[in-house]
This record gives sequence, C-alpha cells and structure tokens, in this order.
Amino acid sequence: MSGDAVIVCKGVGKRYGRKWIVRDIDLEVRAGELLGLIGPGGHGKSVLLRLLAGLATPDEGEVRVRGKNLADIDPFELAELRREYGYLFQNYALFDFMSVADNVAFPLRQAGGVEEPEIARRVKERLEQLGLGEALDRFPSELSGGMKKRVGMARATIGEPAIVLYDDPSAGLDPVTSSKIFRLVRTMHHSQDDVASVVVSHDIDRMKVICDRYVMIFEGKVLFDGPEEAIEGADPMVGKFFFGSLGQSSGAS
Amino acid sequence: MNASTTNFFEAIGAPVVDIARAWGSMFGCGLRTLRAIAMARIAWREVIHQSYLIGNRSVPFITVTLGFLGMISVYQVAMQIKQIIPDFTMLGPAFIQIMIREFAPTITGLMIATRVGSGIAAEIGSMTVTEQVDALRMCNADPIVYLIVPRAIACMVMVLMLSIYAVLVSTISGMLMANGAFDINMRTFLSLQLTNGDDIVIGAVKALAYGFSIPIIAGNAGLTTSGGSEGVGWATTRAVVSTSFAVVVLDFLISAAGYIFT
Repeated sequence: MSGDAVIVCKGVGKRYGRKWIVRDIDLEVRAGELLGLIGPGGHGKSVLLRLLAGLATPDEGEVRVRGKNLADIDPFELAELRREYGYLFQNYALFDFMSVADNVAFPLRQAGGVEEPEIARRVKERLEQLGLGEALDRFPSELSGGMKKRVGMARATIGEPAIVLYDDPSAGLDPVTSSKIFRLVRTMHHSQDDVASVVVSHDIDRMKVICDRYVMIFEGKVLFDGPEEAIEGADPMVGKFFFGSLGQSSGAS
Repeated sequence: MNASTTNFFEAIGAPVVDIARAWGSMFGCGLRTLRAIAMARIAWREVIHQSYLIGNRSVPFITVTLGFLGMISVYQVAMQIKQIIPDFTMLGPAFIQIMIREFAPTITGLMIATRVGSGIAAEIGSMTVTEQVDALRMCNADPIVYLIVPRAIACMVMVLMLSIYAVLVSTISGMLMANGAFDINMRTFLSLQLTNGDDIVIGAVKALAYGFSIPIIAGNAGLTTSGGSEGVGWATTRAVVSTSFAVVVLDFLISAAGYIFT
C-alpha cells in the first residue's frame, strides 16, 4: 500500500558540462511503495538516483525529502535526513579495508546510540538472513559479486531506513544470482512498514516481479509514470521497452 | 554577442574558473580539516595506523636519502673551503645549522610529498571512483573527518619526527665523510655554536606546515577524482606535483618570515 510522498522532485535537471543528463523530472516516491526506475542504459537513471539521495545537487528544480529541499538544508539537517536512507551502490562500494561485519556495522556505529553487543547481534542476524552467516570475518576482496551485493544490501538496510535506494542490484551478476538478489530486495522492502524503495534497473523481467509502479527515464526525461496496467495507453516506446524485454524473456523460457 | 566572441571568452574563462574552483576546493578542504581538529572530531585509532604507514615505512627511504645528502653536502662544501681557506673549523656547525633550519625538513617534506602524497591520492581517488566515498556520505561519515583528518595529524607528527631523524642521519653521515675524507675531528664537527632556538623553531614550523599541507592537497586530489582508473592516475600525478610545489613555496615563505621576524 502506498502512503504519503516521502521524496518529491519538481522540475529537476542535472548537467555535466553543457550536456543535460536529466531534465524536467517531476517524480514522487511514496511511503510503502517499491518503485522501479527503468529505461535503457545511459539515459540518466543512476544520476536521478544520486539526486534523490542528495549525493548530487540539481542544476535546476528541487528535490524535497519529507518537505525539506536537499539543496537548502545545512549539513546537520542533511545528516539527520541521511539516517533515513539506505543505498545499495551499483559497484557494491564496500569499504575494502574493513571486514564484512565492520562494513555492515558501519552505519549503526556512525548513527551512535547502539551498544557494541547489540550491533554485533544485529549484524549477525542480518547477514544470516541474507545467507552470509559464515562471511562475518572475511574481507570484500574474498567475496564473489553476488556475496558483495548481499553485503551491500545488509549495509543499506541494517539501520532499518525509511528510504532504500538500489542502484542496479543485478549489474554484473548471473541470472540465478540476479533473481535471488531481486527476491531479497522484495523481502527487505516488506520486512518493515512504510519503507519507500526505489530500484534502478533495466532488467524488466525481474523488476516486474517486485515493483508496484514504474517510472521510465528516456533521454533524461520521464517518459512514463504508472503501474504496469497503464503502459498500454502510454508512449509506444514504453511498451516496446517493457514488453519487448518481456517478450524476449517469454521466448527464452 | 556572436558565437565566435562567446567561444573566445569561454576559452579564456574556463581555465580561470577551473583554477579558482581547484584552489577553492583545496582551501575548503584545509579549513574543514582544521575545524574538525578544533572540534576534536578525530579517529585516534586511524591516526595511529596512518602514523605507522607514513612514519615507520618512510624510515629506510629517509635514511638512504638524507644519509647520502649529508655526505654529498659535506664533501662539496669542504672541497670549496679547501680551495679558499683550508680551515674546516666552522664546517660542522654551519652544516648542522643549515640542516636543522632548511634541508632536513624540506628534503624530508619532498620525500614524503612523493611517497605519501601519491599514496594518499591513489587510495582516496580509488575510493572515490568505486563510490566508497559516496558510501561514507550515505552512512553519515564525513569523508574529511574520516579520511583527511587522521592523515593530516599523522603526517604533521611524522614529518616533524622524521625531520629530527633526518638531522641525526645527515649529521652522522656528514661527520663520517668529514672525518674520513678531510680528517676533520668529530668533536669539532659536532658543534652547535651556530645553531640557536630560532633555527629549531623555523625547522619545526616548516616540518609541521609540510606535514599539514601534503595530506590536504593529496587528499583533495583524491576526493575530486573522476573518470575511473585513468582519473586515479591523473589525481596521483597532480598530487605529487602540487605537494612538491607546495613544499617549495612554503619553504620560501617560512624562510622569508624567519629572516624578517628573527
């Protein structure tokens, strides 16, 4: 069930040099929904995700999180808002000088207020939930791509954030591991109430299984915003991208 | 304004804006580091770890470099003295004074700028391009506090310690050269009659200034890295050139201030 808008983008644009990567983006992310940001590679999905997280500042328009414009708030307010975020990076972004357990514990230690035994218990529990109970003391360099994604997912969700952003969770993974990762995304999303999750991917087959709503970004603009049922009446490009991929999948299976 | 005029102004303005941004970013990094230190936002465990990496691992490097520098300097100066007035009485005292005031901290600073500056830029640059720095931000860890502050404190302390060590190594090697090649008495060489408190203060200020500026410049180069492994390579090169340049400029400024105010 979708609730109030947690993130609201109004006329958001971002450019690098003279080239606009995304422009005129109007978007809402609501509490409790699992939103799929879809579209071909290189059309601005990941840049938009970074804008939603406040990791990049828009060159025009505004990104509001719980009513606060990310570009206007001071570092302390931003730090307060960031406690509500979890972010799974496309290339894992695990701290390579820390063990798996320390990587996952890091957000809790940074947030403060949680005793070490409690942190250790929660880290162990989360890693066991993701099938990584044996990897506590290992380092990122000793893990496979799928394991790194799961560690990244554990780190993104250990603080039980209200907003979780997943940047291409299946990038570089084999189909079996990809399916497992998407199932975990769904499990994490439903593990607590009113979480707003945004998943960036062009893997439509797997997105279809988990997402409540889709926003398609094409050439830096929103081409479609709605549930799967509304695709039929949308721009033909949306159907071509969405069902074309589904068609391939159906044919293959 | 027509297109060619616009292009002309852009061609002139773009590099100026780039340079202004780079300087602004570097000074911003320095100010945020100082603020974090003043607010005692310091990860002491990381400071100790960085001190080991910066200090202990530079000891062989400094021993060899300053050892040879001491011998070469004494040999060259002694040869000059020999041609004018063959009296080596003041060779040792003058050598020790110039080592404390000038060469030990500056050569140590240059050595650390190349070895440590490149390492800091490469490490932080790699973290930047692999999104680890963004991950720190998303975990509410300020990259300046977490990455730059421990290196700045460790580097300040270690450049000072290594400069003291460099004075000892160069003095011993210079003394052995003076005794072996020119038959200068070791006690005559080891005299502090030309060295005073100002020389020690100026040498220490230089060491601390180099120690602070190297991680700031190199760390900022790392944090502003873009464009994958090629970007890391460029950041490393930029860090080595900029930190070496900073050491030379700081040497000039502190030396000038030293002569004016002492």
